[in-house]
Amino acid sequence: MSSELLFQQALNGLSFGALLFILAAGLSLVFGMMDVVNLAHGAFYMLGAYLALSVVQLTGSFWVAMLAAPLALGLLGLILEPLLLRRLRGRHLDQVLLTIGVSLIVVDQIGVVWGREVRSLAAPAGLDGSVALFGGDYPAYRLFVIGLGIALAAVVTLVYRRTALGMHIRAGVEDAQMLGALGVDIDRLFALTFAAGAALAGLAGVVAAPVFGLQPGMDVDALLYSLVVVVVGGLGTLGGAVVGSVLIGPADTFGKVLFQEFALAVIFAIVALVLLLRPTGLLGRIRIAR
Amino acid sequence: MRRVFIWPAAAIGAAALVTFPYWTAEWESSRFATTVLRDILVFAIFALSLDLLVGRGGMPSLGHAAFFGAGAYAAGVATQRLGTDQLPLTLGAAALVAAALALLIGTLVVRSEGIFFLMLTLAFAQIVFAIAFQWTSVTGGSNGLAGIARPFLGGIDLNPPDRMYVLVSATFLAVVLLVRAVAGSPYGRVLVGIRENERRMRALGYDTARIRLSAFVLAGSIAGIAGALSAYSLRFVSAQDVGIGTSIRAFVMVLVGGAGTLAGPVIGAAVVLYVERILSSAVPVAETVLGLLFVAFVLLARQGIVGIGGAAWARMRR
Repeated sequence: MSSELLFQQALNGLSFGALLFILAAGLSLVFGMMDVVNLAHGAFYMLGAYLALSVVQLTGSFWVAMLAAPLALGLLGLILEPLLLRRLRGRHLDQVLLTIGVSLIVVDQIGVVWGREVRSLAAPAGLDGSVALFGGDYPAYRLFVIGLGIALAAVVTLVYRRTALGMHIRAGVEDAQMLGALGVDIDRLFALTFAAGAALAGLAGVVAAPVFGLQPGMDVDALLYSLVVVVVGGLGTLGGAVVGSVLIGPADTFGKVLFQEFALAVIFAIVALVLLLRPTGLLGRIRIAR
Repeated sequence: MRRVFIWPAAAIGAAALVTFPYWTAEWESSRFATTVLRDILVFAIFALSLDLLVGRGGMPSLGHAAFFGAGAYAAGVATQRLGTDQLPLTLGAAALVAAALALLIGTLVVRSEGIFFLMLTLAFAQIVFAIAFQWTSVTGGSNGLAGIARPFLGGIDLNPPDRMYVLVSATFLAVVLLVRAVAGSPYGRVLVGIRENERRMRALGYDTARIRLSAFVLAGSIAGIAGALSAYSLRFVSAQDVGIGTSIRAFVMVLVGGAGTLAGPVIGAAVVLYVERILSSAVPVAETVLGLLFVAFVLLARQGIVGIGGAAWARMRR
């Protein structure tokens, strides 16, 4: 592999990692707070992408879509949590199963509304060109994705560490019941958390659309990768989502270059190794396996 | 007094099931009904194997399609590439390949529980799917394996639809008896014990990880047999057989029918295939209907149709 190609693939890997972070952060947040692995996360991601498609067709602006789609997903989360998940609080497995049903419905309805063929979304004006970097051309949009991932990680860290909401979230991750006993409105906090998770999935969908396009099955891919990221990085912690995506993004990209059709065997090996050697994930505290 | 009649009744029912295409031959829709029933029974075998994990072992696997698909591909490849058409060989190959895959994945997942188990089985099965989808030289990739020839049993050609049906229904009955025997055996009791309280069973001296792994491999190989039967029935294997959609369908069957019972997965298979085959020609949103059904059963009737029926029966007798 030439050094130029190596560099390009490294950037590809990083931009994929940044995208994975946006995606996995929401899944990890919801799990940390509610002990629910939201299996509709991939469906929310897909819905975000298709909503963006319609918003762009309507307003012509990618940036409006980047705001509107996560907002719409957040609203959906705000409705779904009290409507469905709250009834099953404490029954974690049933809550997870419920999210499977939700994802079946959402994905099927996307097919009804937008059709089932492959669609594409253009990168926003100004970012649709390429940038000369180290003697090669590199798509500007992918650099933007890397920047966005880093910026989002910084913002989320700031919210976590410096705001009252962040304090509640950290306390809720530690012991939600105790937080409720101390007088914090847990119902509201859970609904907001679920909404934030859905909004992050939606945002990831919008951001990913110009890179990967829109097609049936994208929900499952997104779900798989975000599960892998949180298992490897560690469930429920922000640092876990960062480490997991920074590791899995490049590993997947280089795996595809080196092993082509067996790229996912590389991912399989990583997950297997982590499970055997460090069952909490690299930075997690919750043991996934004994 | 009543138990005396159960075995003869079951034997008559079993005989009627296996000979279905012959005594309905006069019906106008016999061929169609046979095909639908065959597909239901294939999935009933698959759902029964999943229920060994979900219902008996407390292992909510969302990746069971990996073994169904492995069996389907193994049967397809054995028939198309290796040039053998003897059923015991191809079916054995399917069970063996599925069991080997189950051993590999099971070793990694049996030490986790609940939602983690679900998450890991889902992730590993999806990786298997991606490999099946891209490994075109063996699996045919997105085209799948088409035109799989049905096998021979000794000198009997299983190609005619009626004989294919008899093979499926006989295998189904064998699997029902096997699952029933496993569930009633000391081993089955230990499995339920692990589901209820894993730590106590470990304290009692059981190697719980190994017992769970053995159940995982057994369920995987039965799923592989179901996959092989599906490959022969439809004469086609597609990557979708390994996909998450197939795993979810089996899970919906178990949950809607009633987990941890013998009748539940079978009834669930019938309900789901009814929704998909019959209802989907009337309404174009079968997946949505399945999703709603699943949400409703998780929210309102976690014990499934068998549980609802049992409760109603108990109330009537009071």
